[in-house]
Amino acid sequence: MQARLEARELTKYYAAIPAIRDVSFTLEPGTILGLLGPNGSGKSTTVSLLTGLREPSAGQIWFDGRNITDRLVEYKARVGYVPEEAHLYTFLSAREHLELIGRLRRLPAHLLTHKISMLLDLFGLTSAADQPISGYSKGMKQKVLLIAALLHDPDLLILDEPESGLDLTAGLVLRHLIPILAARGKTILYSSHVLDHVERLCADVVVLHHGRIVAEGPVSQLRAMTQRNASLEDVIAQLVTTIDPARTAGDIADVSGLNA
Amino acid sequence: MTAFKRVDEAPVGRLVLRLFLRRLIDNDVISPHADRHESLAVLGALVVTLAVFVTFFISSEYLAAFIQLPGPTALSALSDRFLFISASIAVSALATLMVWDALALEPRDAAILGPLPIPARTITRAKLAAALVFGTVVAIALNAVPSVLYPMFLTMNLRGMDGRGIVHLIAGHATSVVMAGLFGFFSLLATRGVLRLMVGERRFRRISSTVQSALVVCTVTALLLAPTVRKTVVHDWIAGTTPARWPARPALWFLGANETLAGHIVAETPVVLPPRFSFVGFPKRQDEESRAAYRALAPQFAELAQRAWLSVPVVACLAIATFLWTNRRLPDQAAGSRARSRLHASIRSMARWLTEANPETQAGFFFTWQTLTRSAPHRTIVAIAVAAGVTHLLIALAASGVHRLELPAMPLGLFGINIMVLVSLIAGFRYAVTVPPELASNWTIRMAWLGDERGYLTGVKRTAIIALVTVPLLALLPLHVALFGFGVAVVHSIFGFMVATATLDGLFLGYRQFPFASSYVPIENPKLLWPAGLSTVLLVTYGFADVERWALQTTARTLALGAALAALLLVVKLIDRENRRERLAVNFDERPAFATQRLGLFERIVNYD
Repeated sequence: MQARLEARELTKYYAAIPAIRDVSFTLEPGTILGLLGPNGSGKSTTVSLLTGLREPSAGQIWFDGRNITDRLVEYKARVGYVPEEAHLYTFLSAREHLELIGRLRRLPAHLLTHKISMLLDLFGLTSAADQPISGYSKGMKQKVLLIAALLHDPDLLILDEPESGLDLTAGLVLRHLIPILAARGKTILYSSHVLDHVERLCADVVVLHHGRIVAEGPVSQLRAMTQRNASLEDVIAQLVTTIDPARTAGDIADVSGLNA
Repeated sequence: MTAFKRVDEAPVGRLVLRLFLRRLIDNDVISPHADRHESLAVLGALVVTLAVFVTFFISSEYLAAFIQLPGPTALSALSDRFLFISASIAVSALATLMVWDALALEPRDAAILGPLPIPARTITRAKLAAALVFGTVVAIALNAVPSVLYPMFLTMNLRGMDGRGIVHLIAGHATSVVMAGLFGFFSLLATRGVLRLMVGERRFRRISSTVQSALVVCTVTALLLAPTVRKTVVHDWIAGTTPARWPARPALWFLGANETLAGHIVAETPVVLPPRFSFVGFPKRQDEESRAAYRALAPQFAELAQRAWLSVPVVACLAIATFLWTNRRLPDQAAGSRARSRLHASIRSMARWLTEANPETQAGFFFTWQTLTRSAPHRTIVAIAVAAGVTHLLIALAASGVHRLELPAMPLGLFGINIMVLVSLIAGFRYAVTVPPELASNWTIRMAWLGDERGYLTGVKRTAIIALVTVPLLALLPLHVALFGFGVAVVHSIFGFMVATATLDGLFLGYRQFPFASSYVPIENPKLLWPAGLSTVLLVTYGFADVERWALQTTARTLALGAALAALLLVVKLIDRENRRERLAVNFDERPAFATQRLGLFERIVNYD
């Protein structure tokens, strides 16, 4: 099967400081790939390159057999993106924001209106749909981002910490939604810190550390690499953790308990 | 079980005050994404440079004088000081308006500080203290340089003036202008508080931005009108021979305060002439008459000064009292829902019809409308453009009056009102599109955009044509009917519409950014471009007014001018269409030229990003 998305030796420098180096992986239609790594490992940089919002310093991204830099706009038209931070136009309401996105994506007016109303209702945002986003909670903003990413029925969904701020119900809905979308042929890149969710949703994972891939492949294979019956959390801890978490936790509790 | 510890309010209050001040600078005065030190340095340099330039410009007649007489100087200085005081009130008020939302406790304050064990009164007091520090610093920073330079320039050629006199003059000038600045600040704070008290929190949130924009228009108009007040007018206003217009009265109070503090120093300076010069005849008589005229104003100065000394504490008390009362509790974090009226729905459907059901045109149209009406920096830019237009309108009407005259005898200024108002608004709009409403949110448009800016740009321009061309033309139509009669007024408005549309299209001909979504890059050479732009606007306005006055006198000429304007409009549209036929990359990330470029220091640094 032809890979839908292929990252080839992606490298990105910020003012001579490397953020990622030689990152390569492929995603096939209908698959969910987990992107894992500690803070500063290069996950968000990788995601920003895959969305086309930033250009790599070296390497290429191929989508459906074409380099995305040749047809960046057409590529973006097929991508839905939920960023790590919910930067939205806060003076707009959710409905106005979604109308702006949908119109820019040239969705027909009647379809756009219908989709927005339905999705706002399904995500439980109808009552707040006409209030300015400035008054929204983090979870509400996250729902707006999710709706905006799904509005145009994208072939590739790039989700960077999509559950951040979501309440229990919305989080459960999202965890059910992702496999359904994958079953319908959508390709999904799921970047998250919540290893439990990644383990449940993703068949394959890529683990980044200091801007390089330190492990990749099916979750079961990664487990086999380390020890029997190890959870993904244990595997990642072995791969990228340089401190003893239990000892550090004890130190934090001790410092917190210091009194004058 | 241990009892809760009582929080020591004093250090906590200081910390919260520091937080508010820091946020006032980082979020409200400069962009949260900008380098604070660099932005403050640029702001400081701008204030000092403008202050030096304005002071030098005002003082040029004293600096150029070979023999300067104290009497005429004392009288002449009245209008200069009136200008300094007016500018101090207006600029302080404008600075206060820039942080309008931060002048009271906001939902974000409640979100950040609410969960902490800090009493509400501590937060309220810290917010008030932060506002007071801001107002005081602005009043002092604005006036520090002119307070020192102006008295020195004024007395540079007054040979009888000694050092002690100059220090006295500096102290008097500084006191009056800083008081005026504080008056401007407290007036705005009091206005906000009284309004909030009268209408309640929920309704205030709804009208706050409109009130802010209206106040920006009034303040900028006052600032632009201040230099047009002539010397004789200030003298007549003080003497009471002409009643002073009410917006000028506060400036006169502080002028009175200045004159009672230090005005006599210039008026009583002895005449010391250069060697080999004698002081006889006309100059001597002129000096004595001027001194007498100045001394005759002393009772009025005292009366005005009384009002000045009274006004600042009264306004400050009102501002503080309303602030403390309206901010006694942390604000409710829940946002009020926006009512969707039938009028709102009908406007939206009309707007949809105007945008031809093209999704991208609709996106441009509605986003432009929402940005111009709701984003604070954009509202301010439009308000300043409106103020520039209103200023020209008021000056033209003050010079000519609203009289129905024959067309050939009609003053050009009246013919120029339309074009001047429209061009001011379009120039402001053209600048506004370069400023992103929220820089960090640009990614949403960059991800959703499908590569053809033409539809979006059409929507953007259509908003301008409706909101900034058609609406002002309709608002000015009654005035033009009163001046020219119905028929001529309608034709005049149609011509204004055609010129404005051609100007709008012309200003976007070479535009290769995405309106409201490209990064903002300041104009590289404002000292050349702004005067050139202003000169062009004046030349075009009065040139066209002359042609229009000539054309409107006969039907044949009117038709010819109409045809010429239609041809101009068509040519601009054709050039625009031709320019955009070839798909060029739109620049979302325009970067400013590096500051070190001219020195060649940057060439050795490699930028990988």
